[in-house]
Amino acid sequence: QVSVLYFARSAELAGLRCETLSVPREITSLQLWEEIVKVHPRLAVIRDQVVFAVRQEYVLLGDQLLLLQPGDEVAIIPPISGG
Amino acid sequence: MEESEDVPKDFVKLKCEKLSVDEVSELVVSPYCGAVSLFIGTTRNNFEGKKVIHLEYEAYTSMAETEIKKICRDVRQKWPSVKHIAVHHRLGVVPITEASVIIAVSSPHRAESLEAVMYCINTLKASVPIWKKEIYEDEYSWKENKECFWANSEK
Repeated sequence: QVSVLYFARSAELAGLRCETLSVPREITSLQLWEEIVKVHPRLAVIRDQVVFAVRQEYVLLGDQLLLLQPGDEVAIIPPISGG
Repeated sequence: MEESEDVPKDFVKLKCEKLSVDEVSELVVSPYCGAVSLFIGTTRNNFEGKKVIHLEYEAYTSMAETEIKKICRDVRQKWPSVKHIAVHHRLGVVPITEASVIIAVSSPHRAESLEAVMYCINTLKASVPIWKKEIYEDEYSWKENKECFWANSEK
């Protein structure tokens, strides 16, 4: 069970900022994205623009294997525009 | 005070209230430093011919603070003579001409603080999870920094 956080455009598409999802402990970042899109299909349009932050470290969508712990924070990070 | 008491400090703050240049520069002033360099990011009133009414910022606050502190650590590795660093970023609604971000760095001589300030703002734009929405008269747009390392600006 991980906390998924949505920001900026991803929060608008998903319609929420935060929820708990149940996902396998070992999962690639791409598979995790696909799990999230099952719940929020409107997110599919931004697939090529987002990365994750898992435990506050950036992770590209791809084959990287994530080892998730219960309660971990996973954030969907659209292209940033600070400063 | 003795120089050994003037311990180098990082001042990182994300806040919704108006930013103050006086406040941020006073944070970094030091009797051992001859230079304080400042960057202020302000809100422009137009983008591609459209009138910008105001900006709205949001942040992944805990990670943004951590990433800004990483930038401060990098600055101190690259410019060891840097004394204090302050980065204040505003969140929420920012009206036109008001500051979205103020960065101040002090160092004994000017070269290091000038370079460090530039490094801070450039790296902030590339790596800190903060997002800006430009509000126009009829619509709005989530901006994307060209520095963002994963954004595909072709799309």
